Amino acid sequence: MAPDFLATVLLSSLSSAAILLIATIGLAVVFGLMGVINLAHGEFLMIGAYTALTVTQAGVPYVLSIPVAVAVTMAIGALVEVLVISRLYGRIFDTMLATWGISIAFYQLAVLTFGTVSPGIGMPQISVQIGAYSLAVYPLLMNGVALAMLGFVYLLMTRSVYGMKARASIQVPEMARAIGISSARVNTMTFALGCGLAGFAGAVLLPIVPATPSMGFAFVIKAFLTVVVAGPVTLTGSALAALGLGGGASVTASFLTSVAGDAFFFVATALLLWRYPLGISARWRRKL
Amino acid sequence: MKKLIVAASLAIFAGGSAFAETKIGAIFDLTGGLNIYGIQQNNALELAVEQINAAGGVLGEPVTVVGYDAQSELTKYTQFTTTAILRDKVDVLFAGLTSSSREAIRPIVQANNTLYFYPSLYEGGACDKQTFVTGSSASQQLDVLIEWAIKKYGPKIYIMAPDYNFGTISAHWVHEYAKQYGGEVVGEDFLALTVTDYAPTIQKIQQSAPDFVVALPVGANQTGFLEQFAAAGLKEKMGVVSTNYGSGNQQVVVSPAAGAGLIASQGYFQVVDNPANAAFVAAWTAKYGSSEPIVSVAVDTWNAVHLWAAAVTKAGSTDIAAVTAALESGLSFDAPNGTVTIEPGSHHLRQNIYIVEGDANHSFKVVETFEGVAPAYENAKCDLIKDPTIATQFTPEGM
Repeated sequence: MAPDFLATVLLSSLSSAAILLIATIGLAVVFGLMGVINLAHGEFLMIGAYTALTVTQAGVPYVLSIPVAVAVTMAIGALVEVLVISRLYGRIFDTMLATWGISIAFYQLAVLTFGTVSPGIGMPQISVQIGAYSLAVYPLLMNGVALAMLGFVYLLMTRSVYGMKARASIQVPEMARAIGISSARVNTMTFALGCGLAGFAGAVLLPIVPATPSMGFAFVIKAFLTVVVAGPVTLTGSALAALGLGGGASVTASFLTSVAGDAFFFVATALLLWRYPLGISARWRRKL
Repeated sequence: MKKLIVAASLAIFAGGSAFAETKIGAIFDLTGGLNIYGIQQNNALELAVEQINAAGGVLGEPVTVVGYDAQSELTKYTQFTTTAILRDKVDVLFAGLTSSSREAIRPIVQANNTLYFYPSLYEGGACDKQTFVTGSSASQQLDVLIEWAIKKYGPKIYIMAPDYNFGTISAHWVHEYAKQYGGEVVGEDFLALTVTDYAPTIQKIQQSAPDFVVALPVGANQTGFLEQFAAAGLKEKMGVVSTNYGSGNQQVVVSPAAGAGLIASQGYFQVVDNPANAAFVAAWTAKYGSSEPIVSVAVDTWNAVHLWAAAVTKAGSTDIAAVTAALESGLSFDAPNGTVTIEPGSHHLRQNIYIVEGDANHSFKVVETFEGVAPAYENAKCDLIKDPTIATQFTPEGM
């Protein structure tokens, strides 16, 4: 095996894992801190992508469209939490059903608003040469983006007042309420944060995955499985699961076929859940 | 319903026959993931019926449409096909986009002996007495495309295709025509429709260093392949040809940097230059606007309705056997994609295949036109004149 091929496989598998992680963090935060499985996660990603696309088409530089996408998805997320999710706490299957319904509604709204085809913004046409192989640079940048997202969420959870309240609300809910933490407001904030992270993902991945009404479906299954495999330790667990599942699938796909790559992802998920029914991080000491 | 009553009373005033109206059924995906195609198929059908009715209808009666939205769900096709035939008693059915939808419909139209038009490009081989296919088949498109591409780029081919029958059967034809025209398939990768990250495929392509890639991306996610391919800097090193790029307006989604220079072959592109297409595009734009380019399945539907109307006029009745006989009489139509002719034995169309090149404005220019390309594989396998009882989908040997 040529070393240049190996190097490109490693690098691009790393970015595959990073892309999966970027698409997953929002879902992981909402699941980890609220116990809510947001099946509309993919649609928030789609809303983020369309927001970024619309803003870019209006003439704003692409980089500046990303914060707009985050703001829009956070606002919609907060609204959904207040109107729907907050009424269904502790009813995990009802929440899944409700968010599934919301995802269908958002999907059709996108079809009605944007039609079925919108022009993409394209990927920066920059590539690096490694031996006989060339690699697009933009996906490689996603490694940095994923690390930055992890760092941001980690700092937010450990260093901010909101983060402490959020962790208190999930770890010792009675005590949190007893000392005056308004869990309703914390939950609205957490859900909005998760949706904002999804919106960020949709916007930042827009050059790689064009905005279409159905783009959420492609992400939500793998993101969901990654969160389940990760288990209770939200951040570290998700990062590790994304690296193992996404990176592993990409390496498998490079050496065998793309179908084998997908098979690796699902078989590995099944085996891990069989071995660790509560997720790989179930017995870890760390909390994030 | 109101339309039906109007049509019926008109017929009575005209002192017509007991069969006061001609009813056609239309089942397309107006919502859901496939509506990128279904809405245009339905628009084309409505436009064709409008034009036929403005010219006096068929057999002196206006045509009425009973429409259904299949919602991109297979079960709806089975359900609505049954309803259209048994409750609404349609004279003919125009329906379906995916191969799975067609295969859900065919047993029902066979059992009820209803005329059925399948207006879409597909992998080929469908064969039964009731079904007429107006789209081009994979072998029809690939035959001319592979020969052209080997001449243009060189003999080494890599195949990127979706992992279901359209992809695998198309890949089979690429192998066949590569052999026939002195080419060689140096690698292939079949991909699930949910894949969004094509880095592994792109590395394997570089590893096998082909002269050109046959890319058959289906659905929005696989369109991302073309973007990632271009960003990795491979477009300068090898050609990309496709039989379905553009069929769902992918050229609008793909950025100019990735889309310019891509080669596609199909039975129709909006840029095709002839008087029938100019009139068709003008009528379409007047009714639906020009926000989205017209795709090939729209023209396949338009041709299907007009061929059926011509056959009914020729037969002088809507009786299934008489209309089928008229359709099998070598019927031709001056279509937007050039003259199309029904092959009596295979129920497929002899039609032009266009090879086009993507430009930097989300559009195409025609590179070469192959006139009157026969559906050679279907003609060889399927002869419904000789054996009207055939009801199957032929797939190439070794599949």
